[in-house]
Amino acid sequence: MDKTILSRLQKLNQLSLSDKEEESVLAFFADREAECEALSAIDTEKVERMVHVLPILTVVREDKEIKTFTRDELQKGAPETEDGYWQVPRLVE
Amino acid sequence: MKYETVIGLEVHVELATDSKIFCSCSAKFGGEQNDHVCPACCGMPGMLPIVNKKVVDLGMTAGLMLNCDINRTTTFDKKSYYYPDLPCSYQTTQWFAPVAVNGLVEIETSKGKKGVRIKQIHMEEDAGKLVHDDWTDSTLVDFNRTSVPLCEIVSQPDLSSAEEVVAYLERLRSLLRFAHVSDCRMEQGSMRCDVNLSVRPEGSNKLGVRTEMKNMNSLSAITRAIEYEVARHIDALENGTEELVQETRRWDDIKGKSFAMRNKETAGDYRYFPDPNVMPIVIDDEWFDKIKSSLPEFPEVKKSRYVEKLGLSEYDAEQLVQSRALCDCFEEACEVCGSPKDVVNWIISDCMKVLNRKQMTLDMLDISGKALGELIVLVNDGKVSRMNAKKILDAIFEGEENPATYAEKQGFIVSNDTGAIEAIIKSVVDSDPKSVQDYKSGKEKALMALFGKCMRELKGNCDPQILKKLLLECVEKA
Amino acid sequence: MYLKELECSSPCVALDDLILTTNTPTTAGSKMLENYESLFEAEVVTRLKQAGYSVKGKINVGEFGVDLLGETSYFGAVVDGDNLVGATSKVMSDVDAVIGLDVNGEQRRSASLFSFCNLKPTYGTVSRYGTIPVVCSAETVSITGKCPNCVEKAYRAVVGHDDKDGTSHRVESLDKLDQAKEIKKVGVLTAFLDKADESVKDKVQKAIDMLKNNGVEVVEIEDETLLLAKNAWNILMSAELCNNLSRYDGIKYGYRTPNYKTIDELYTNSRSESFGEFIKHVILFGSETLSTENYMKVYDKALRVRRVMVEKFAELFQSVDAVLLPATSKSEYKIDEVKANKFIAFEENLFTAPASITGLPTVTVKGVQVVAPAFSDYKLLDLARKVR
Repeated sequence: MDKTILSRLQKLNQLSLSDKEEESVLAFFADREAECEALSAIDTEKVERMVHVLPILTVVREDKEIKTFTRDELQKGAPETEDGYWQVPRLVE
Repeated sequence: MKYETVIGLEVHVELATDSKIFCSCSAKFGGEQNDHVCPACCGMPGMLPIVNKKVVDLGMTAGLMLNCDINRTTTFDKKSYYYPDLPCSYQTTQWFAPVAVNGLVEIETSKGKKGVRIKQIHMEEDAGKLVHDDWTDSTLVDFNRTSVPLCEIVSQPDLSSAEEVVAYLERLRSLLRFAHVSDCRMEQGSMRCDVNLSVRPEGSNKLGVRTEMKNMNSLSAITRAIEYEVARHIDALENGTEELVQETRRWDDIKGKSFAMRNKETAGDYRYFPDPNVMPIVIDDEWFDKIKSSLPEFPEVKKSRYVEKLGLSEYDAEQLVQSRALCDCFEEACEVCGSPKDVVNWIISDCMKVLNRKQMTLDMLDISGKALGELIVLVNDGKVSRMNAKKILDAIFEGEENPATYAEKQGFIVSNDTGAIEAIIKSVVDSDPKSVQDYKSGKEKALMALFGKCMRELKGNCDPQILKKLLLECVEKA
Repeated sequence: MYLKELECSSPCVALDDLILTTNTPTTAGSKMLENYESLFEAEVVTRLKQAGYSVKGKINVGEFGVDLLGETSYFGAVVDGDNLVGATSKVMSDVDAVIGLDVNGEQRRSASLFSFCNLKPTYGTVSRYGTIPVVCSAETVSITGKCPNCVEKAYRAVVGHDDKDGTSHRVESLDKLDQAKEIKKVGVLTAFLDKADESVKDKVQKAIDMLKNNGVEVVEIEDETLLLAKNAWNILMSAELCNNLSRYDGIKYGYRTPNYKTIDELYTNSRSESFGEFIKHVILFGSETLSTENYMKVYDKALRVRRVMVEKFAELFQSVDAVLLPATSKSEYKIDEVKANKFIAFEENLFTAPASITGLPTVTVKGVQVVAPAFSDYKLLDLARKVR
C-alpha cells in the first residue's frame, strides 16, 4: 500500500482524506495486511468458500406489484428535488 | 491491406414482469417520475432483497431458448460504482454463477448460416434514468427503472459484420418474444445492445484494440454505428489518424459519430462479491422441467409444421411466425374451425387491417382465437355475410368472446327465407323503375345500385350470390 | 408455560440507533444520518409492540456499530468518569431489555463489562428487516437484559420467520430451537484466556465454578484455530461495510455538503464531511479487499476461512455441548486509552469474531461468552441461569 494506491482508493470510494488521515490509514493497512498474511497458516486450497453461514436456500416471491410509499413521502428527507426528481449537479454528457 | 472485423455483443433485455426484481414496485414502462419507487429501490437502508420468481423463470427460459446450459444453482453478486442513477451505488447482478452459460444461436445472412456462441446470460437490475435539464442546469434523477429486471446476453466475439449483428439481434428478438421473455422494443429501451468491436488484418490471429459502443436505439442505428466504427479503426490502422485505445464510446446517431465516454461508470474497479442477502437459488428438477415443458416451439419448427401438416403456403406461414401472438391466435382458431387456410386469410388480411387501423404491432394482437374460429364457422356455414363478419371481428377486437350470440343480438344472422328476400327485392325494384330501365338499356352499373339498395334493406343478411340471382330474376320480370 | 415464571412485569425496551423506527430519527451514530427518519419500522419493533412492549427510547451507537463501545459516535462517546462505558449501561436500569444490532460484538462487550445478560441469537432466527445494513452475512439483532429471563422474554417476542428477510429461517427450521440439546458439558477455549488479563481470567474462573456447582461438566480445550477468526472477520466485515455504506452519497437523503459544484464534489465532500475517521479507514480497507488484484487472495480466502471456522466449531461440538471464552481482554476501557488506540475494536474483536463469522448463538453472562451450535438459543439461556 502506498500513496498512489491510496489516492486511487479514495477516488473509488468517493472519500478525501487529510494528510494526517492518510498516515493513519497507511498504519491501519499495515496492521490489516499482517492479519491477512497470518491467514496463510490455514490451508484453504480444498475448502469451499462460505458466503452464507446457514443452509437457507432459494427464497423467492411471486411476481406481484405492491405500492408502498408515495413519491412525496420518499422525498421528504431529500437534500434537493425538482418537480418530483432528485436533483444533482449537471453531468457532462 | 484487407481487414476483418471481430464483434461481440452484450444485449440487455427487460424481462416481462409486473414487479421489479428485488422489491414489489411496478416494473411497467412509463409512469410519472419516481412513481414506481419504494425505500428499497431508492437506496434507503433497511429493506432486504427478495427475488421475484418470475425473473428466474424468464432467465431460465431465455437460457433454454438460446440453447444454453442452465446453472442449477445460481447466485447474485454486487457490483460497485458511483453514479447518480444507481441509488445504492451497487448493482445486484450475477458474476460468479449466472443462470445460463454456453449457448448457441443460429443466424442466416446473405453469406449463409452461421452459429453464434453465447458466453452467458445473467439476471440483474436496471439503473434509473437521468434527465439533463437546461432550465435548472442540473441533472434530474428518476428511479422508476431502477431494479426493473434485465437479462444480459453476452455473446462470444463470433460476429464479423453489421449484417450479421442485425441478423443475430433479430433472431434473439424473435426467440425471446416467442417465449414471452421480453417485448424487446429497442425504441423503448427494453432491448439494448453494446457492441464490442475490433479490427485486424485479415488472417491475423491477434485481436486488435477493442472499443465498446453504447446508445444505439434501433437496428439501423447499430448498422450505422458499426460501419462508422469499423471505418474509424481501419483509418487509424492505415493512416495513423489517431491512436486506438480500449474505451467505451457513445454513439450519436444524429451526428453519425461515436464519442469517447468519460464517466464514472467506465472507470475503476467494480469489486464484485457475492450478495450475502440473497441466498443461492437452487433450481430443482420440478422447477426446471416446468420451465422446459412450457417452452414454445421455435419459430422455424412452427413454420414447417404449418406448411407440412396444415397446408399453408410458405409465405403465409412466414407471416404468422413473425409473432407469437399471431401463432397463438391462429392455432386456437384452427382448433375451433378446423380450417387453417381460412384462419390464416382472416388473420393476414382482416386482422392485420384492424391492427394497422389501430396503429398496433403484430405482437399486440390480443383477441380470442376461439372467437375468431367461431366467427369463421359462422361465415363458412353461410350464417353471417362477410360484410357483417367484419363488424363482428371489430367486436371481437373490443373483447367480444361469443360471435354467435353477438350476431344474433345485432341481427346479423343471414335469412334463409327466400320469400321474405323476394318481397324486399320487389319493393326495391318497384320503387326505382329508372334503374331497372337503365339496366335493361345496357347499363350494368344500374344493377349494382339496386343490389346495394337490397343489401342495405336486408342489413347484409343475405348470401350475395343468392341475392344477385333473385334480383336478376325480379328485374327480368319487371 | 415457561413464560409465566419470568419476573419482568411492565415491559419496555430501548433500541440502539441501528434499528429503524418511524417518527424519530435513526442515525446509526453518524452525521450522515443525523436527521434521517425512516418511513417504516423494523420488524423487531413491530413484534415487540405486538408482544406488549413499549419503546422507551433510542440509544447511541458507535458509527454503524463497528467500534468498541460507541466511542466513534458522531454524538459523542458515553463515558463514566475516565471509563468508556457505552450507552447500554446507562439505560439498563430503566428498561427490561436493550435491543440492538450486533455488528462487531459491541453488545457482548457491554454485557461482559457490566454483568448483563446478552443473547446474540442464531443468525436468521430474528428478522433483520428494518435494521441498518452493515455486515449482512453475520449481523443479528441482539438482546441485552439484566437477567436471562428478561432476555428470553424479549427473544420470544421477536424470534420467527419473516418473508421480508431472505435470510430468515423457514418455520420448519425454527422448530429446531425447541429441539436443541441441553448444554451439560462446556469446553473452555484456553487459547483465548491467554489473551486476556487477570481480571478477566478471574471472571472466567468464577463462571466455571458456578457452572460446576450447578452440575455442568467443564473441560479445557486447547486449540489455536479460532484465534484466526478475527483475521478473516475483519476482512469480511470491512468489505461488506464498504459496500453497504456506498448508498450514503448525499443525493437521496441524509447529509449533503454545501461545498460542491460537480457531482464528484457532491459525492466526495458529502461523504468525507459526514463519515468519521474510523469508518473511513474501514471503508478503504474493505474496498481494497475486493479489488480485482486482492479478491482471491484476501476476500475469497476469508470466505474459505469462514468455512474452516464453522467446521472447527462443529468438530468441537462433537466433544462438548458449548464452548466458553471471554468477551473482552480486560474489565474496563479507559477513554484515553481508546482515543490513543483508535482501532482497538479491530483487536478486541478477537473474542467476538468466532461467533460473528459463524453466525452461532452466543450468550454473554457474568463476563463470559458461551457459544453453542445453531438453534441452541434457549439452551444457552438455560445455561445462563445456572451461572447466576
